[in-house]
Amino acid sequence: MKQYVLRRVALAVPTLILVSVMVFAMLRLMPGDVATRMVEGHGYAATLDALRHDLGLDRPVHVQYLDWISGIVLRGDFGRSYWTRQPILDEFTRRFPVTLELALFTIVVSVVIGVVLGIVSAVRQDTAADYVGRIVAILALSVPYFGLAVLAVVLPSIYFKWTPVWTYVPLTRDPLENLKILLVPALIFGVTRAGPIMRITRSALLDVLRQDYVRTAWSKGLPERSVILHHALKNALIPVISLIGLQMPLYIGGSVIIEAIFRLPGIGLFFFEALGKLDYPVVQSVNLIIAAMVVGLNLVIDLSYAFLDPRIRYR
Amino acid sequence: MATAGATVAVERRAWPSSRPWYADVWIQMLRRKPLGTIGGAIVLVMLVAAVGADVITPYGFAQTSLGERFIAMDRAHWLGTDQLGRDLLTRLIYGARVSLYVGFGAVLIGCVLATLVGILSAYFGGRVDLFVQRGVDAWMAFPPLLLLMSIMSLVGPSAWNITIVLGIAFGVQNSRIIRSVALSIKEHTFIESARAAGSGHVRITAAHILPNVLPTIIVVATTGLSTVILTEASLSFLGLGVPPPYPTWGGMLSLAGLDHMYQAPWLAIWPAVALSLAVFGFNMLGDALRDLLDPRLKGR
Repeated sequence: MKQYVLRRVALAVPTLILVSVMVFAMLRLMPGDVATRMVEGHGYAATLDALRHDLGLDRPVHVQYLDWISGIVLRGDFGRSYWTRQPILDEFTRRFPVTLELALFTIVVSVVIGVVLGIVSAVRQDTAADYVGRIVAILALSVPYFGLAVLAVVLPSIYFKWTPVWTYVPLTRDPLENLKILLVPALIFGVTRAGPIMRITRSALLDVLRQDYVRTAWSKGLPERSVILHHALKNALIPVISLIGLQMPLYIGGSVIIEAIFRLPGIGLFFFEALGKLDYPVVQSVNLIIAAMVVGLNLVIDLSYAFLDPRIRYR
Repeated sequence: MATAGATVAVERRAWPSSRPWYADVWIQMLRRKPLGTIGGAIVLVMLVAAVGADVITPYGFAQTSLGERFIAMDRAHWLGTDQLGRDLLTRLIYGARVSLYVGFGAVLIGCVLATLVGILSAYFGGRVDLFVQRGVDAWMAFPPLLLLMSIMSLVGPSAWNITIVLGIAFGVQNSRIIRSVALSIKEHTFIESARAAGSGHVRITAAHILPNVLPTIIVVATTGLSTVILTEASLSFLGLGVPPPYPTWGGMLSLAGLDHMYQAPWLAIWPAVALSLAVFGFNMLGDALRDLLDPRLKGR
């Protein structure tokens, strides 16, 4: 087991190095010049050259890259924003709880809806309930969450005089108010992500229900509730959990749009605004941190499989 | 789902058909896949709308008429007009063109790329495979939307750029699936016998592996179309897709028009409906084609 863990961790390192090279190269090789915009549009410095020197853009590309990476590895310094000159890591840690909360809330919503519909659909296979459940899942999969979000902002304000709360309140200051703010975004995002979870719950549960140990449970005379919820569901949930792990990047990517629509001050909005201002250090550092989180999460998932199923360790 | 997949495969063998598989698939679809048929019909309508937009629509997509602003619905404007008096139905039909052209273009580029990368990586194996796959790993470590946003904001929004960028992303992501199929085909004895008969790398990959990967490529393409269309819409929504004045469904929903939507909710409703219908159509068609062409991929 120890050897397996070490091997997997060692494999993640080159991936992360490649990721850092990719974001860095992408931002430097492509057209679009931040210095010109800062000087011409906003008067950040007297001349272009002075500003480029200030920002360190006049140095060779590989020096800039090594400077960025060594800062991260040696000092945990992810650089500063070009525009505000504030440390990126501070801003990231300030905003991260918002995005994390939104993601967790969304996952809870989509899992509750998806798993419940999936169970009903599988247990009542080929009945009206099953067909309704499957059609709901397909429809939920087809509706774009940003379209639904825009409708949720626009329609209630016209017909019920209800608008989302536009000023964000942190969880630590007023938990109830905070949950009220996140409820609508999480519901909308969660509903549109429930489709795949419902489908995989249904198919996994159908598979499990045909297995011998479930038949044994039935023949022991256990009530349906106990057979489904205690015996079958436990095994059926394994693919559901791995699906959620695989879809984490989608939750994070989607949060950019959800945060922009509902004006939540999370990582997504931070990233989106930095992108509009060509704030390279922010874009590359946020990209790298999130990619590292994704790699780390995948690693944890893989290791937990290996922990649960010894066969994987020896492959 | 393994058992269901096996049944489909057996069924296919039990009634051998004289028609070639690419014709047989559509007949099977009409007979056994009602939802797939509905999806196919929606896609067909969209295709006609996209190709014939210039002929079908009585207005131009950028034709303004300030006397006719914010009409909800009337005989001249079936789905109403926007803040500049532009006909919404006309703009939706032209929007279908963007979605489909970008969607098909990107999937085409992506499939060529995925096939090349996937087959070469699987066929040569060893160090080539190792390096290529670490590159794919690194690419897949990014949340797709963040990566695409970064690239699009740097190359600048345009129809060509978004098609190419989405194509590359689609290709990299799906090269894994093609690779895994190519890996299993590579182990068959007919590849070995082709090599023994003196076939070179090019002939083995192009004439022996490629035809066997083809059904998977078709499945990847059809199931991926809805995702690509949705991603294009997300990027256009953020102002990073096809730039105005050309109408796109995502762009029509965008936050820039939010103030007008309070006044005229149909400006938000119809593009959302159009987009949902399109994604629904492609999803259903893709699922049905996957079940008919490649039962092994069922549930993916």
